[in-house]
Amino acid sequence: MKRIVTKKSAKNALLYIFLLLGGAVSVMPMIYMISTSLKPNGALYEFPPHFLPTAENITVENYAYIFGQEKFYRNFLNSAFVALTTVLIAAFIATALAFCLARFRFPGRKLLFGLVIGTMIIPGTTLIITQYQLADFLNVTNKLWGLIPFYVAWVIPFSTFMIKGYIEGIPRDYDEAVYADGGNVFTVFFKIIIPLSSPAIASVSIFNFLTAWEEFPWALTVINDNLKRTLPIAISGFFGQHQFTQWGYVFAMSVASLMPVIIVFICFQRYFVSGLQSGGIKG
Amino acid sequence: MELRTGRNKRQVALLLLPGVAMFAIFTIYPIIKLFFMSFLQWDFGSMLSQSFAGLENYKAVLGDETFRIAFANTIIYTLVTVPGQMILGLMAAVFINAIPRFRVSFRVIYYIPVITSWVIVSLVFRYVFNTEGMLNYVLTNVLHLTDSYIAWLDTRWGGLSVAMMLGIWKGVGWNMVVFLAALQSVPQELYESASIDGCGSIQKFFKITLPSIRPTILFALVMLTIGGFNVFTSIKMITGGKPMHQTETVLTWMYYKAFNTGEFGYAAALSFVVAVTLIFLAVLQFKVMKNNEAN
Repeated sequence: MKRIVTKKSAKNALLYIFLLLGGAVSVMPMIYMISTSLKPNGALYEFPPHFLPTAENITVENYAYIFGQEKFYRNFLNSAFVALTTVLIAAFIATALAFCLARFRFPGRKLLFGLVIGTMIIPGTTLIITQYQLADFLNVTNKLWGLIPFYVAWVIPFSTFMIKGYIEGIPRDYDEAVYADGGNVFTVFFKIIIPLSSPAIASVSIFNFLTAWEEFPWALTVINDNLKRTLPIAISGFFGQHQFTQWGYVFAMSVASLMPVIIVFICFQRYFVSGLQSGGIKG
Repeated sequence: MELRTGRNKRQVALLLLPGVAMFAIFTIYPIIKLFFMSFLQWDFGSMLSQSFAGLENYKAVLGDETFRIAFANTIIYTLVTVPGQMILGLMAAVFINAIPRFRVSFRVIYYIPVITSWVIVSLVFRYVFNTEGMLNYVLTNVLHLTDSYIAWLDTRWGGLSVAMMLGIWKGVGWNMVVFLAALQSVPQELYESASIDGCGSIQKFFKITLPSIRPTILFALVMLTIGGFNVFTSIKMITGGKPMHQTETVLTWMYYKAFNTGEFGYAAALSFVVAVTLIFLAVLQFKVMKNNEAN
């Protein structure tokens, strides 16, 4: 018995060592980024490079510079506004679509679901030319809120697919009970479907938030006014803006833009996981 | 369910309307327009008068040396990063599933790369792999593995390797979470009866675990292949397609053709070649997995 126990704990020790190594690789680039943001903003690469700042050269000057610029707050608020609005609109629209697809037969239902699946396969960036023409035609280029309908349209297929899977797991008896009480489709949607599918809506929303918060090619293409830029574009603008890249500023701004995401993730990590899991098992 | 009353029918139509409208205007219409555009002569020179060009754009795409390089790069990127992420992610999931404590902590740590933004981590990788960066210093001055600094980002394979390393690093956590869920849904009795038959851990993994999680493997395979073809931001930030367009992928090359040289017809045809390739691959993956299941 004792031999079995020691064998088992030796095996566990080995697993922990492997997992710790992998975990170190996972967080190393983040730590290096934070450490570089706390070093003086040298124009050139430091030699010899240090993984961590030394006690005498640790500094917050990069943060002081970034937080001292009005532009940074604008970019931050722009990203927050676009991401949150996208999340809210997409959550409502996708849940409504998913509810109709899961519960009712209507003409074109198969076609609609086929298109939802089909557009999940095509990379969004391939549509950038004609979407740009459309944005131009609708006169929404170089407008911050003009990003939102395109982001919503991009996240609808995946969101609908995931929420539909979840709604199909909600017993129809609940719906029937509401109809028997004289309720209608809206009553079922608002009183039963939205509250009961909120875990799926929450996890999809977290992904949609990340998508909009970090979206790069589209915002880069349609926005060319500094004050209307979102954070990723502002960061990439710092990079290579002059002859050399001011890495200290780049990484201080990166840390500032990653922090809200990391905090949201750690608070809601249960939803991240449950959302992915329902999609993965169903296939 | 059948809708008996007109009121309910109207309400369903109202619920469908915003989604269908958004989808039709912002996704379906651009796809159809792109399809027509791919048959037109359409560039900066012919902005106002586009003429029908037949299959000329498709011929130009398929005959273009840089497109072939970009396509090959995308295929290589996908062939390396998809199995790389899946194997490492599955290993992490199996290990995390087997340990008695700290499961949530490891899950959170492994998932952090997934939630970081592509722009930011691409810049970090660029900083580390730069010729004057940390990696060359460690390789040359600390470990003395090379005599001189390697210009990782100035060659096709060097630049692609860095992008692929980033792709794998960023994707392992997603696979870990997806596979962890699948592992937890494998019936425990299967393992117990295998133990009675005298199977070891490794045998159990190949005889029970892998066959049981087949649907998840297919799901991950399809999603990651799409993701592989989507590679854009990392290439743009790490190499910018340099040197001489040697590290372009299909999407960065499409973007360059559309917004730098203004060859819209060409870029539209390229987009369709990519879309058709992906649909073909997705169908193929489903077929192969279905056949395996039947056997």
